[in-house]
Amino acid sequence: MSDNTYHKVGRRPWEWKLKPIGTDERPRLRLPGTRRHWLKWRDVHNPKTLRRERVLADKMPLWWTLGLGFVAIITPFMPNSMISVMSIFCIYAAINVLWTLIVGTAGIFSLATLAVVGASGYVAAAANVYLGVPWPFMLIIGPIVGFLFGAILAAPSTRLDGLYYALLTMGVAEICRVFVVQLRALTQTNGAITQVDSFIPEAWFLQRPGLLLGFAGAFLLLLGALLVWRLVNSERLGMLLRVARTSREDEAFAEAIGIDFRRARLMVFVISSAALGVVGAFYTMYYRSISPTIFSLDQLLLLFAMMVIGGLGRAEGAVVGAAIVTMIDKGLVELGPPRIILVAFIMIGVTIFAREGLTGARHQFRDYRKRKSGERRARRTEKGGEAMPEEATEVHDKQELYYRRFNKRLRDRLKTLITPELIEEHKRDPLGHHSDALARVLNYFRRAEMADKYVIHRMIPTEERFRIMAVSGVRGLPPRVVDDREYTDINDAYHAVFLLRVNDLLES
Amino acid sequence: MTDIRLFGYCDPLSAQAGKPIDFMVSAEGTSEVQAEIVRLVHGDFNPDGPGFIEEPVATDVPAALSVRRQYTQNGSFSRVDDSQARLAPDGPFTVHAFIWPSTPGGQRQTIMSRWSVHGNEGYALGINPEGKLEFWVGDGKVVDQVTADAPLVPKVWVLATASFDPATGQARLRQIGVQNSWNSHIGPVTPYDHNTHVVETLRCTPAKPDAPFLIAAAHEENPERGRFASTLYNGKIDRAGIVARALSAEEMAAIAAGTPPTDPLAYWDTTEGFTDRGIDTVIRDTGPHGLDAQGVNHPVRAMTGWNWTGRDDSFRLNPSQYGGVSYHDDALTDCAWEPAVTWAPPVDLRSGVYALKVSAGDRVDRIPVIIRPNKPRAKIAVQMSTFTYLAYANEHLSFDAQIAQAIVAHTPVITGEDIEYDKLQEFGLSTYDHHNDGAGVCYSSWKRPIINIRPGYRMAGMNFPWALPADLSLLWWLEHAGYDYDLITDHDLDREGLSALTPYKAVLNVTHPEYYSEGMLDATEDYLREGGRVMYLGGNGYYWVTAACPDDPACIEVRKLDVGSRAWQAEAGEGYLASTGERSGLWRSRGRPPQKLVGLGFTTEGMDRAEPFERMPDSFHKRVAWIFEGIGDEELIGDFGLALGGAAGVELDRYDLALGTPPHTLLLAASINHTDNYPLVSEEITYAFPGRGGSQDPQVRGDMIYFTTQNNGAVFAAGSISWSQALPCKGGENNVATIMRNVLDAFIREGELPGSQFSGEEKHWR
Repeated sequence: MSDNTYHKVGRRPWEWKLKPIGTDERPRLRLPGTRRHWLKWRDVHNPKTLRRERVLADKMPLWWTLGLGFVAIITPFMPNSMISVMSIFCIYAAINVLWTLIVGTAGIFSLATLAVVGASGYVAAAANVYLGVPWPFMLIIGPIVGFLFGAILAAPSTRLDGLYYALLTMGVAEICRVFVVQLRALTQTNGAITQVDSFIPEAWFLQRPGLLLGFAGAFLLLLGALLVWRLVNSERLGMLLRVARTSREDEAFAEAIGIDFRRARLMVFVISSAALGVVGAFYTMYYRSISPTIFSLDQLLLLFAMMVIGGLGRAEGAVVGAAIVTMIDKGLVELGPPRIILVAFIMIGVTIFAREGLTGARHQFRDYRKRKSGERRARRTEKGGEAMPEEATEVHDKQELYYRRFNKRLRDRLKTLITPELIEEHKRDPLGHHSDALARVLNYFRRAEMADKYVIHRMIPTEERFRIMAVSGVRGLPPRVVDDREYTDINDAYHAVFLLRVNDLLES
Repeated sequence: MTDIRLFGYCDPLSAQAGKPIDFMVSAEGTSEVQAEIVRLVHGDFNPDGPGFIEEPVATDVPAALSVRRQYTQNGSFSRVDDSQARLAPDGPFTVHAFIWPSTPGGQRQTIMSRWSVHGNEGYALGINPEGKLEFWVGDGKVVDQVTADAPLVPKVWVLATASFDPATGQARLRQIGVQNSWNSHIGPVTPYDHNTHVVETLRCTPAKPDAPFLIAAAHEENPERGRFASTLYNGKIDRAGIVARALSAEEMAAIAAGTPPTDPLAYWDTTEGFTDRGIDTVIRDTGPHGLDAQGVNHPVRAMTGWNWTGRDDSFRLNPSQYGGVSYHDDALTDCAWEPAVTWAPPVDLRSGVYALKVSAGDRVDRIPVIIRPNKPRAKIAVQMSTFTYLAYANEHLSFDAQIAQAIVAHTPVITGEDIEYDKLQEFGLSTYDHHNDGAGVCYSSWKRPIINIRPGYRMAGMNFPWALPADLSLLWWLEHAGYDYDLITDHDLDREGLSALTPYKAVLNVTHPEYYSEGMLDATEDYLREGGRVMYLGGNGYYWVTAACPDDPACIEVRKLDVGSRAWQAEAGEGYLASTGERSGLWRSRGRPPQKLVGLGFTTEGMDRAEPFERMPDSFHKRVAWIFEGIGDEELIGDFGLALGGAAGVELDRYDLALGTPPHTLLLAASINHTDNYPLVSEEITYAFPGRGGSQDPQVRGDMIYFTTQNNGAVFAAGSISWSQALPCKGGENNVATIMRNVLDAFIREGELPGSQFSGEEKHWR
């Protein structure tokens, strides 16, 4: 035995698990109108106790409920300034969630998100202010504009690749800004439309009841955006696209067999744009005005920072990122300009240390732990040697652990038997009366497990031409060729296999 | 040019001249093949022998055959045609079955279904890829399901039952544990809870698919392949049924307690139909419509059921505990291909091994067929061991069995064909292989391409021909030495009994007559008692209790059990043949060791080298000295051979009075000098201790014996597989051949045997 240190293994579970009784009738309820269950409960047999445990296989709904519930409950008790910060957070989070749909699900790298919001907001505001359309209709005009704008923007998305398309959409946002600023009708207000009617009565505007109502609206807006995200992602459209995202070849293959990805992506883009239109209308009503800053690059980059910090492509990333950045940008206003620097530093920090934003950190941590434990095990154990306690927890058939111990010691003994005389003895007569030492070595070789076990391949049935192969040990998976050497005498082939195995033994 | 692939088989594998034989061919990469009938003369290209020899035969088989790709249905299941759609109720219904799933999880499996996989129509009870029981319905657009909470535990009996009411959409799924101390793989001390009970409202109702009702599979169809069964199930299914109403939770519990529903729409009582002589593959429906289920690819009957309690270890003692039917997704006993050509050999065709040789491009396939004369013609019959051929058909040992290299003491030598067969996994397994769930394979049939009965084929593990290709060495030598012979087969003997043997003066066994039915033993015994003469020229003969399936002569059944060199071992209580009702395993375990019949029985096997025989003192007795005419007193007999370079090797048999060798048997010769890779066989080992190999144990040897029977009958036996493969060496003129001539010449003569007058009491001066 070597000077290995043995660490105790075993862990007390922290997760709360149900202990179901199998004979009890369990009615399973579904989300009304769907085939979905409310929560993804799964029963498993605990491998250590064999008892049945019911665990929540997908815990995201739990975290969402806790997180959003916390926001909804805590906000009414906040000071006025914080209530508006929370509202802005909800609006930004909603925009981000929809943007995530475009970037993540549809895979279109568009930077015109705020342009869509702004354009819808402007048209809705103009309709209200200049045409006297009542405010509830703004929530219809917004998405229509968003839809049309989205449709126009979508057209070039399949023609232009990544960066070029991003630049194009940024250009569109800038054109919108310049256009609005130069509109003669709006020059007195520097391009802004003010006095927009709203769901918040004018008397309450900037008063506590108005702020609370605004927050309630913004919160519902966020829930709506999340619903859109969920619907798109869990329906056929989203599932199709998630399949495609795994690789470009898959997509090409899928298109070849008639699945229209281009269409699916454009659909997602247009749906998201319409939803952004709603956000635009809401945004205008929330502030009772809209100004060209909505099209500005710094706003866009702030939003981008949210996504990067939270984690690109996930709804929870979009919301968490929005929370962090909004708290810094709007909640720490007294810090002044350095707060922007702070956002930048956080963004850079997250980019350097987290591969997929803060919400991907858990997964990344697990990968890291796995890699580290792999490295440690590799240092602590020799190849093919004994299993350490921590490795043993992952071996189901405990007899395997003994086999490893036994075979390791057997190999150590057999290695001492390998001599030039022994090899010469085998060469003389591979299938003969063998000395005790050679018989022991050969028997060890022949009993080896099936995976990668050597066989001889007769290359043409009636000819004495052989080469060495190794079988897979998996039914139906053909053997591999070991090397390109050929033998014309079967005894040479037997001996070549023997030498390979001796080599494997000595290397182990 | 595309790769051409040719596969084929014939049905029957052996036929009398004049009777038609169907040849099935599947071809890829070509639509036409050249065809001719050849007579197989020698099947080993070993340069020490005559080489590979075949002779074209003029026949009416067309020179070109049109062929196509033919598909094979793998996997066993049971089918109810249900043409009147009685099993697709309009109203509420309940399905129930006891199951012992062996590989839950990974792939979807179906327990019972009237379900169309491609159309998403109907209903099914099955196991989802998570390994959980699931009941699903589909209307062609939407599929909805209710899933059990807990995963199934492999090889533990549970009742699986689901009810569905289309009016309310309510589905109830119950899984009720029925494990006891005997019936499952693990015992009741495991703290598993095998129960689950889920009620859920489904959002669609089952459409009525154009599909049969299947047990252990679901129906699928595609334009290329047509109709077939997929999502196959691994494991056992016991008593299943359908009730045309939604059973309550209590009624479901009553089924688990052993009370089947009183008002079934169908009830497949797997315990019905047992007789003392076994059971067929039809599962009887004892319900009002008698919708019997027909087994496809031989689901294994007579397996222990959910209520097995161990005391009765045969279905003959208590059929009610033997409702288990085993299904395997890789079982195959009938490819069911369309014939490419039917050949009726002319009545005057010489008996022999023939083959349909089909070729296209550089591909050639020979589909062997054994032709028996239309009526007995020769004095000598050679009994081709067709049972053995089937038992070893398409063995995968070199690819699958970890211990194979240690047994044969050899590195396997595989060919491209072996790799292709292994890669395809399409043409079934041998009785030396295991199904995907680890169960041993107990059925094998000739209705599928079989690689290792092809002439020239060498068994990969050993690098020499085995069984049929090896047996051609004996036939070549008989022809070379000028003896006329007729071929008969194990199947002929099993079917016809003694009358298949009586026309012949002498009957010769081939290299490895290992698989025997009771009828074959009886016929051989009666033949010997009536003065017949048997030359047992093989190793490890008369070993496994085997039966031809009564409903399908192409198929044999064997259950490996308890002792013997066994590739697998039947589960407790499952050692009796469903085909005949008799206990399988070794004949010696049933009071008929081969020694009682032919004086020798299996004692050792090894595949590193073969050795010669050495004369024993008995060979100088005048009763038998004629056998050794032309052989020197100390001459080594058979220190050459196509199988490992000796006449005594591969598998060897031993004389043993304790095992019933006739007491007057003369031990003529015995093999010497075996390596330790020839160990004493396991059925001889009661206590294990070291040193049971050839260099230390005197029971490790092959014997050559002779004894006489009533009415001038006699047995000459050389208990070695490689004996016949020594015959073709040295141009067919060698000392093994000399002994063969001496014995054959005597055996085919009428009247008393030479030496028989030397029966007096010995009075020696020396």
